[in-house]
Amino acid sequence: MVKFLKMLSISVREGTATRKYPFESPLVTPEFRGKIEIDPVKCVGCGACTRICPPKALTIGNEGDEIVLKYFEGRCIFCGMCAYVCPQKAITVSKEFELATWELGDLYDEVVHTTVKCRICGKPFTTVKFVKEVEKRIDNKVPEDLLTVCPECRKKLTARKIGSKVVGVSGE
Amino acid sequence: MSHDYSKLIDELSRGHRSRAILSKILEVCGDSVLDLSRRNIVIKIVIKAKCLRTALENIYKEHDLYLRTIAASDERSREGLFKLYYVFGIDSEGTNLVFEVPVAEGAKVDTISDLFRASDWYELEAHDLLGIEFNGRQMSRLVLPEDWPENLYPLRKEVSVEELKKMYQPQLISRVSELGVEEVVRIPVGPYHPALHEPEYFELYVRGEKVVDARYVGFMVHRGIEKLAESMKYDQVPFLAERICGICGFVHSTSYVQAVEDALGIEVPERAHFIRSIVLEVERIHSHLLWLGVALHLLGYDTGFMHAWRIREKVMVLAELLTGSRKTYGIDLVGGVKKDIDKDKIPRIKETLNVLRKEFKELVDVAMSVPQVKARLTGTGVLPRGEARAYSLVGPTVRGSGIARDVRKDYTYAAYHYVSFKVPVYTEGDNLARTLVRVDEVFESISIIEQLVDMMPGGPIKAERWEPQPMRLGIGAVEAPRGEVIHVVLTDLYGPYRWRVRAPTYQNLQAVPIMLKGVDLADAPLTIASIDPCFSCTDRAVIINLRSGSVKTLPIEVISRRVRGNG
Repeated sequence: MVKFLKMLSISVREGTATRKYPFESPLVTPEFRGKIEIDPVKCVGCGACTRICPPKALTIGNEGDEIVLKYFEGRCIFCGMCAYVCPQKAITVSKEFELATWELGDLYDEVVHTTVKCRICGKPFTTVKFVKEVEKRIDNKVPEDLLTVCPECRKKLTARKIGSKVVGVSGE
Repeated sequence: MSHDYSKLIDELSRGHRSRAILSKILEVCGDSVLDLSRRNIVIKIVIKAKCLRTALENIYKEHDLYLRTIAASDERSREGLFKLYYVFGIDSEGTNLVFEVPVAEGAKVDTISDLFRASDWYELEAHDLLGIEFNGRQMSRLVLPEDWPENLYPLRKEVSVEELKKMYQPQLISRVSELGVEEVVRIPVGPYHPALHEPEYFELYVRGEKVVDARYVGFMVHRGIEKLAESMKYDQVPFLAERICGICGFVHSTSYVQAVEDALGIEVPERAHFIRSIVLEVERIHSHLLWLGVALHLLGYDTGFMHAWRIREKVMVLAELLTGSRKTYGIDLVGGVKKDIDKDKIPRIKETLNVLRKEFKELVDVAMSVPQVKARLTGTGVLPRGEARAYSLVGPTVRGSGIARDVRKDYTYAAYHYVSFKVPVYTEGDNLARTLVRVDEVFESISIIEQLVDMMPGGPIKAERWEPQPMRLGIGAVEAPRGEVIHVVLTDLYGPYRWRVRAPTYQNLQAVPIMLKGVDLADAPLTIASIDPCFSCTDRAVIINLRSGSVKTLPIEVISRRVRGNG
């Protein structure tokens, strides 16, 4: 027999390889990385995920009096780094991958945080939950300035302190 | 040569080849060598630009020596100079010989493209992206588009990513205003149709049915990711690197992290090395199956194509099980990996490999017995051994021409030194040889994974902490399915200062015109595909008939299905 006809018996043995997706469920292993889900209760808005996110699908910023963590699925590469670095374990990687939609808005997820306002300039600079988390983690021993003054005002404050010390020393 | 050199040479050399090379260099240009040092397998020679050519003229005939990559970098902010790093490999002793060449702004470097033919593109690219000038050769544009302004060199540090992004805007804005609409999406559809394959463009010059010459035009989608990485953090770049290639992405992320680990001296836990090796081999199997399918398809044997991809699907599912994704695995981090291979997955791995071995053997037996397949692979697209050496070729392309060059053996990395495996070599240099190299490699890879899985040590999968330091040079090389991938990294505090990527196709494509000369037109697509250029290619090719003067455009697949003229 001509050898290449052996393929016929292989084909009969294997049958149809193509799955009838979407009528049949797609083959996804338990390890599959799909879109991420952010637990708004656990999230404290620290922004660690936004700093590691390679395609910048996660962003954090001030919007009025609130700080908003935004997740845009359209940019997401499903690498799971955000879940890997999240100190609060607020991000989980789901198995969802059927993300096509008619509405661009469907591709955005947002977590809105209430903010702490700087006691000097009045600008919101961090989230209430983040401050609470920091206090919890280091046992309420945080200097008060760190929790109530924004980084920029703190810089000025420190500069002034150093300045007065230097002046003090030279005045002696 | 004065006698004080001999002690230095003893200290630095890693074998008799590097000893011979070092003593020759010191003999002819001892005065121009500014510094000599060695770290692990890397011997670094800092040499004045004016003496580089003289040094290389004296050593280019050395057996085993080949050009791995050239990285150009803008270090004017640090030392007021540009720098060129020429990385050569000495296969037999696994040594990297790096020439660090400081180049003042506006100074010219002598070309080495006649000594090491592979350097042709590297020099053109260094000129395109950094404006480094070379003496004694013709310069033309390689990477940048034709309408790019003169004297704007994107990899120079003073050019910002934002500025580069704007380079595409003026044209777009004027077009949009011409159209009188507010928003337009521009989709390039052209002679390089990016539908399924990647864009490349070959011009084949034919006389009758025979190809007499070939010209390649590429870099149509040069994305500037090396520039982009300079603004990213260490642990973000692996994900960018992985997207260089849609088929063998993991080799790029591994190559990058290895380069950083080499530069900063990071100790990677053994278990991470094993996981990387396992995933790399899984990737090789899927890539070779994909290639075999495409090759059979180009030969018109679609049954084989379908079955190759049916078998490949099992590998894709296995990859997803091990890493979380079918492709772009996303588990490499500097200092280790981020996903472990649990014990309960091991039976599944072994089971898949057993099925794979059986079914792949079945497929190869049948496919190779098809008379047309065998006839069209045999004796076509011949690449002689000498040419393969002269062009510093890599991967199955060079192994099909009788040179056993394989990074896994020569410059061993990850966990490959724990396993025993053969490097398949065929000497005929034709398309059949390159096919058989890949077929054999699939079986070797299956065996490698089986060995690794059995030997896998416990322990952590990532180095706990490491400290970045500025301006350290690191080299990471990985044997990708299509040849050696090599990344050169210069470190900075938060991310790479300069990241030079060299994919195997960059090296191998330069030899395609040689393979094409004299083949029948019908065999040209397969010959081009035989280097496995990620089949990153054109859907279309232009045929110019010298005799009739006609020019016509055909989809590449139509050419491959044409019957041989004189058969």
